[in-house]
Amino acid sequence: MAEAEDAGANPVNEPLDLVRLSLNEVVFVKLRGDRELQGRLHAYDSHCNLVLGDVTETIYMVDEEDEGEDVRTVKKQSEMLFVRGDSVVLISPQQ
Amino acid sequence: MLFFSFFKTLVNHEVTVELKNDISIRGTLKSVDQYLNIKLDDISVVEEMKYPHLSSVKNVFIRGSVVRYVHLPAAAVDTPLLEDATRREASQAVAKAKQG
Amino acid sequence: MSAPAAAPAVANGAADARDPSGFLSEIIGAPVTVKLNSGVTYKGELQSVDGYMNIALEQTKEFVNGKLRRSYGDAFVRGNNVMYISADS
Repeated sequence: MAEAEDAGANPVNEPLDLVRLSLNEVVFVKLRGDRELQGRLHAYDSHCNLVLGDVTETIYMVDEEDEGEDVRTVKKQSEMLFVRGDSVVLISPQQ
Repeated sequence: MLFFSFFKTLVNHEVTVELKNDISIRGTLKSVDQYLNIKLDDISVVEEMKYPHLSSVKNVFIRGSVVRYVHLPAAAVDTPLLEDATRREASQAVAKAKQG
Repeated sequence: MSAPAAAPAVANGAADARDPSGFLSEIIGAPVTVKLNSGVTYKGELQSVDGYMNIALEQTKEFVNGKLRRSYGDAFVRGNNVMYISADS
């Protein structure tokens, strides 16, 4: 019972705290549609809308010729990027 | 509210909106609402050859839900201010959750 | 007619019998498997969960088609992508 009360003292007591602790740090973001981002986190909200700076986007494209192994990656740069939260799958602080 | 306020500070700046169907539209941000619907003026479509049907349109209203990214001019973003506003919004959200 | 006025006395352990989120709070700190709608699975230690089923995991391994793809020290997973959370033990 006391555990619920003590949780307030814990810096990580809800999942979004992990994202809060990554502000002004470089994060890895996995998106729907086989896309990944790496960039510095400047803002987020509870929908996982994000603003990232100095971003590298990696897109994985499967070549449709022969089904399977052939995956092409395309990389794009962006100096400042707003990401709509509904595309976000996973956010991880980069060590 | 954070991103609504944030986008309001970017009105009259040049942005590129990338949609979930891979179309990218560049234009001047004219207005934004609480759903992050976006109005752009003086638009041009990136890769116009691929999407000629938009080339005669001068301005667009974009439904927020079809947006994947908005590419922003870095010079127009005060990142320390934005991080502080994010922390404030995060602590408000936690306070609300505890009340509810 | 002699039923108790309210049921606040339900013990923690019994809570998961009627409330699925009781199960989630019981397995905080335990090794879990999280499967997403896309088929990707994550194995790690469950740090926290919220009402949207957003999840924080520690020491996470990502598997695609059963093959290890990547490892994360910490990972936040947005709840709408989650199909299930399973305790490994």
